[in-house]
Amino acid sequence: MTLRSYVVSRILLTIPMIFILLTIVFIIVRVLPGDPVLLHFEKMENPRAMEEMRQKLGLDKPIWIQYFDYLFNLLRGDLGKSMQDYSPVASQILSAFPATLELAIFSMIIAVSIGIILGVESSKSYNKPKDHIVRIFGIVTYAIPVFFLGMIFQIVFGVGLRWLPVGGRIYPTMEPSGLRIPLSQPPGGFATHLLLSCVAGLVAVMMCVVALKIRGQKTTRKTLGLLVSLFLTVWILWALAGWRFITLGELRISTGLYTVDSLLEGNPYKFVEALRYLCLPSLTLGLVISGVFIRLTRSNMLETLRLDFVTAAKARGLKEITVTYGYAFRNAFLPILTMMGLQFATLLAGAVLTETTFSWPGLGRYIVDRINFRDYTAIQGAVVFYGILVSLVSLVVDLLYAYFDPRIRL
Amino acid sequence: MKITKVVFGIVIVVIVIAAIAGYYLLQPPKEKEEEKPPVEEESLLIMGTTDSVESCLDPARAYDFFGWEIIQSLGSGLVEYRPGATGAPGDIVPALATSWSVSEDGKVWTFNLRQGVKFDDGTEFNATHVKYTFDRGISIADEDGPFVGIGYGDIIENVTVVSKYVVKFHLKIPFSAFLSLLACQASYIVDPKYAPFDAVVEYKEGDPRGSHPMGLGPYVLTKWERVAGKDTEMRLEANPNYWNATGGYPKTKTIIIKFYADSAGLALAIDAGEIDIAFRQLSATDINNLKTKTHLKVWEGTGAFIQYLVLQTKRPPFDNPKIRQAVAAAINRTAIVETVFLGQVQKLYSMIPVGMFGYKNAFLKLGDPNYALTRELLSQLGYNENNKLSFKLWYETSGHYPQSPQLAQMLKSSLEASGVISVELEGRDWAAYRVSRRNEEMDAYILGWYPDYIDPDDYIYPFLHSSGGSWLHHNYGNPWMDQLIEWARGNTTQSARENLYGQIQDLMVDDCPIIPIYQGSAWAVTKQDVKGIYLDITQSWRHWLVYREK
Repeated sequence: MTLRSYVVSRILLTIPMIFILLTIVFIIVRVLPGDPVLLHFEKMENPRAMEEMRQKLGLDKPIWIQYFDYLFNLLRGDLGKSMQDYSPVASQILSAFPATLELAIFSMIIAVSIGIILGVESSKSYNKPKDHIVRIFGIVTYAIPVFFLGMIFQIVFGVGLRWLPVGGRIYPTMEPSGLRIPLSQPPGGFATHLLLSCVAGLVAVMMCVVALKIRGQKTTRKTLGLLVSLFLTVWILWALAGWRFITLGELRISTGLYTVDSLLEGNPYKFVEALRYLCLPSLTLGLVISGVFIRLTRSNMLETLRLDFVTAAKARGLKEITVTYGYAFRNAFLPILTMMGLQFATLLAGAVLTETTFSWPGLGRYIVDRINFRDYTAIQGAVVFYGILVSLVSLVVDLLYAYFDPRIRL
Repeated sequence: MKITKVVFGIVIVVIVIAAIAGYYLLQPPKEKEEEKPPVEEESLLIMGTTDSVESCLDPARAYDFFGWEIIQSLGSGLVEYRPGATGAPGDIVPALATSWSVSEDGKVWTFNLRQGVKFDDGTEFNATHVKYTFDRGISIADEDGPFVGIGYGDIIENVTVVSKYVVKFHLKIPFSAFLSLLACQASYIVDPKYAPFDAVVEYKEGDPRGSHPMGLGPYVLTKWERVAGKDTEMRLEANPNYWNATGGYPKTKTIIIKFYADSAGLALAIDAGEIDIAFRQLSATDINNLKTKTHLKVWEGTGAFIQYLVLQTKRPPFDNPKIRQAVAAAINRTAIVETVFLGQVQKLYSMIPVGMFGYKNAFLKLGDPNYALTRELLSQLGYNENNKLSFKLWYETSGHYPQSPQLAQMLKSSLEASGVISVELEGRDWAAYRVSRRNEEMDAYILGWYPDYIDPDDYIYPFLHSSGGSWLHHNYGNPWMDQLIEWARGNTTQSARENLYGQIQDLMVDDCPIIPIYQGSAWAVTKQDVKGIYLDITQSWRHWLVYREK
């Protein structure tokens, strides 16, 4: 099968999947006791007004006509209007999605990095105390409820230490179309700015160091000098360039991902602020799904480390870090990649609770909210959207698989 | 070799970045004059809440607590409640109307309007705007809205403009609570420029001014962000055209409202100092916990929210008033208030809340609890320890009301403590609960009520009048009760009304279709330096009175 026909057939297979999913959801929301019409009347129920409402929402027609109407509209790309506030479901979903996507991306990054680092470490010290601790850690994080871990973090880092905010996406005055404060000075003045810019320099240096280590180059005095000068130049340049642009006013939205938008604006403060708000939710969600990655990495690494080529590499006197990450891990990575695709669905499900705990205005909260209201069209729309999203992600993962392992031809 | 290449590369990158940075540094700062002046620390307050505007900010449709809170700050009514009101008629003070009079039969109300008042866009306010507002609300008749819910069309016959600053309301029925009705946010005046006569103004993304039709209030809405139908941020800024701006209102120039998903999130945010004010909804445990923090101040106020038990009077067992009274006598309100709500609500012995005129602790005569009375009443009908009165008690599980499951559990144990009643609990989420209520499946169920207008009528007519109370599906109707209620609605003499409400409440205990349980309190938590908070029976949060002490 060629790559193109593979992709086409996968996409075609998505269609019946979405169709079945939609049918099931359509039936389930209607089988659930509850009536969206009734919920529009908090107090008095006026029979005439209720009949009008029923017509307005299209619920006066027989159920199979409603079903085909919905399918027909869906084929035209119309997700319908919300039964709660009558606005188009598609635009509601799109407005909530970037928040969930940002959370999902960062959680995935955290989960995978924790999983890989701890998994590799524990496989290297097989059956030693370190290994046992990591395994217990993996099980505990996997078993702990998301909202519980989230609240613990909120109490410790938000209320106790006051390091990180407990809810929301960004500082109120930076919230898009928020206050336009032409601050020529960030809080704390130039000193904070200098300090923050130094982080940029450190990041650049760290990246260089990691690259050098993996390549197995030795640290000579020359490289050291180079690193220091790199650090200084990035720091000074960032400090100088940033100073001029800094306003703590509203964030300009172009992607909806606040971290990306703040970088596009070139404003390190907003970026740091966005990261601070993102920190606890993504750490919570990331930790909870990291357990799977830890165990998977560990077992795969155990197998790979026993193979001959690893022994050969060691025998040639390569550095340990080069052998583990440069040789062994690359071979153990494929199953992890698959798992990333599979865990994406879990991540979206976990996001429902995380978003509620951290008041994160994303799709998860939207769905919970709309289920409570029996907003049929909105629930259907969101589920279809999730279905398409999950199948798209698994398709991308399959393609990446082929890219990483040249032996596999799709 | 390799290293020199790298160095060379870095040097080039550095030069390029330096060039770009230098270019921007040499640019003159642009559009300085367009930018707003910096916001001073004292004139900005950040408020947190778990509420959200349910539908929109048009009084023709908005019918939720938070929507009304915002409408109240963006608009003005003809009259309003003074801060600290108790619901007495004297609490209603002039706003857009400076004086008023009522005809002998109580059916014609004349209002003299304040002169020289302007909308935020500069339009001058006059009597035609009043007529437009009420004609519009009644003719739109939005099914979701208060004009249908409260029934403005059944009360107001028409509104006539007498002169530029005089307006007359002709009513269909004599309606004593009319001033209270005008003080409620549904009666706030709209700006015809923003409010089309035949359509509701809905949320428009990126256009806060176009998203609401108000314009006479202390604040203007400069930001309203929603994600997927839920508010994420709102900003109120002082309206320089406000009719009471010369009086120094609003006291705080800018108010930012942040939205939290649940009580726990809100409590953590105020505790962590991220917000200045937390208002609605904090759970009883959160409030108790926040009371211990020295950097915070907890404000308690009278609440107008009540909860009560509704009994299905159509069929056994509750078709007999004796059995209904027996149940009422077995309710231990003290235990409920102390255990479920940690003492943060108060016991209620009438449908009219404590602190409102006309209140009488009528249900206290059945005891609190009086198990002897319960046993006596039930034994007359053949119930005893071996043959218990058993029924299902329904409650709501999705957090629509505070601490619902705990309340139901406590009710069950307090009823069963009588020894002759056995209760089975049945929970449903709010959406399903509503269907069960409509289908009259429930013999006994717990419900709550927020007032529309602050008058005893709003606590009596919708519950005890045979047509006004039909939405409860409790099938209760007593012609004498209907007569008393209609008299009380139509009478404008304070003492006569008080007398009538006394009789109504006594009759209510005799018939006992509904058993009041408790009355909520209003709670707000602020930083120590926040002042000007009035939590009175109107349940209104008055943004324009709140300020930060310097």
